[in-house]
Amino acid sequence: MAEPDQVDPFAHATVAVQDVHVRYRVPSTDAAERRRRTNPVARATRAVLGNDPKVVVRALSGISFVARSGEQVGIVGQNGSGKSTLLRIIAGLENPAKGRVLAESTPVLIGVNAALVPDLSGEQNIRLGCLAMGLSPEQAQAAVPEVKELAGLGKSIYLPMKTYSSGMGARLRFAIATAANPHILLIDEALATGDAAFKERSEARMQGLRQSAGTVFLVSHAAQTIEESCTRAIWLNHGRLVLDGPAEDVALRYRKWAWAIAKDKPEEARTILERAFSEREQTSVHVEEPQRPRRYTSRHVRPQQPSRRPDNGKG
Amino acid sequence: MHAMTQPVPASRPTSAVKTPADAADLYAEIFREQPVSLEVVSAGRLKQVGARPPVREYLAQLWSRRHFLWAEARAKVSSGTRETVLGQAWMIINPILNGLAYYLIFGLILDTRRDIDNFLGYLVIGVFLFQFTTQCVRGGARSIQTGRNLIRAFSFPRASLPISVVLRGVLNLVPTIAAMLLLIVTLPENETWTRAALLFPLVLALQTCLATGIALFFARLTTVLPDISQLISVGMRIWLYTSAVFFSIDRFEKFPWIVGLMEANPMYMVLDAARDCLLYATVPEASTWIGLTSWSLGALAFGFLFFWHGEESYGRA
Repeated sequence: MAEPDQVDPFAHATVAVQDVHVRYRVPSTDAAERRRRTNPVARATRAVLGNDPKVVVRALSGISFVARSGEQVGIVGQNGSGKSTLLRIIAGLENPAKGRVLAESTPVLIGVNAALVPDLSGEQNIRLGCLAMGLSPEQAQAAVPEVKELAGLGKSIYLPMKTYSSGMGARLRFAIATAANPHILLIDEALATGDAAFKERSEARMQGLRQSAGTVFLVSHAAQTIEESCTRAIWLNHGRLVLDGPAEDVALRYRKWAWAIAKDKPEEARTILERAFSEREQTSVHVEEPQRPRRYTSRHVRPQQPSRRPDNGKG
Repeated sequence: MHAMTQPVPASRPTSAVKTPADAADLYAEIFREQPVSLEVVSAGRLKQVGARPPVREYLAQLWSRRHFLWAEARAKVSSGTRETVLGQAWMIINPILNGLAYYLIFGLILDTRRDIDNFLGYLVIGVFLFQFTTQCVRGGARSIQTGRNLIRAFSFPRASLPISVVLRGVLNLVPTIAAMLLLIVTLPENETWTRAALLFPLVLALQTCLATGIALFFARLTTVLPDISQLISVGMRIWLYTSAVFFSIDRFEKFPWIVGLMEANPMYMVLDAARDCLLYATVPEASTWIGLTSWSLGALAFGFLFFWHGEESYGRA
């Protein structure tokens, strides 16, 4: 292993996801679940309180990968496969039950359901969002015109955000999130809602971010988008990593699989999935802790020294 | 590619501890024999995301977000009255009407003023200052829930949310205090203003510390047990009636233990000190100052540390 002091040969790793597991305990109205627990006291209590039994949902199981600067990573998978959860975990907005995520700088997530403050106007939300990301008031003020232009909402920018359509809201959120020039940008289907003109502008903006040595993660269930704009793709299925590789290859396989599912050919879909599984190369992430000099050395390992008077002041 | 990939004999889980999840992980069993590529990253350059920073760093982060806190509090204060005809004027009209309503009920109808000098002033100070605490505690307890959209969109020190609620309360308090002073001066009970009144801002500062601490405490508690939020309004009502807002503590002269209990109550100390400064032209006693300061700073430190300790859990709320 390399000495920690030497030049880091992995200088370009920006995000490392190490064996991440996410579980949720959520109420379920499934009748089978209701009958399963046999403890009559627990069942009666639930019935009286009107609570549904809780089930454990495994949103992500054992995800590991390392992303590097200049990469645009697409994440594909059907609805509910854990794509958005993975993004929230990478962004640090949620913590995994097991495993951890390391990043070079604070990742910025643009989500579909992340409304800002609905009562405030778009303009005020821009300023607030910039300040929330840690920009100074001057920087935020300077960023406002650029964000306005990227969002391209015209006079609507002065109206309260609760009056916006979902597409307008998504455009504004995208524009705000890119204002801080984040090095690690996580995009959750944000582009799917924009119209053609906005799509072009936002793609140019993302290109710019990627060139400034950033890493972009893009979630979409449209494999086409991934194929066109990403360099690498990760396919998730039921919270598991199916395949991690070049975007064209992964997206193509995913499309074939999705097509087989859509055409109700479960056998074919299973074959594709199993082949992808068997061909994937597992990644194991090892985190090397930099060695710090010990602050306190226990007495028995201390080198012999002329005895000093004990320190009895607290400084 | 900068990856130094090398074949490793067999898959080894990164954590040695077996959890039930591993046992049920059939896929992991099936694909155990697959080749594994090892990626090494240095923790010196990459930092864990979403991890709770040490207290000092957390405080520094909060300080660097002060502009955000201020902007959010200001924006929300003005958005509350935006759709009314009178707009921001309501921020001063509302407390005046409130004060008059309390005077009508407690002063004229129920006639609780018998043994209190300047009953209106006594009442107005009690009601308005207590309202501020109530606002902070209630808003603070709900702050994680109402700020969920912000939590899911940006990473920032989560203590910003309850602190922003308190800031909003302070901004609301400014017109309220103006209305309060106006009522005290204009209504027919004459006042002598002395330099003791200059101590009033200090009382307010201590009250704000107290409210911030309690708001932070309940902000975390309600994410652990959401049922607490149902109890807060009851708790606040009980606290209101035990803080001598509407009546004098002299009623309980015969029961010294009740008096002792009430005098240990920090909100009673706040109201007592504020009334001494503004109405009775006396400097509050040293015991009040000591008690109030230790309550406020203690609550602030405890609430902050308690909230900070749960920093990693708020994303799931």
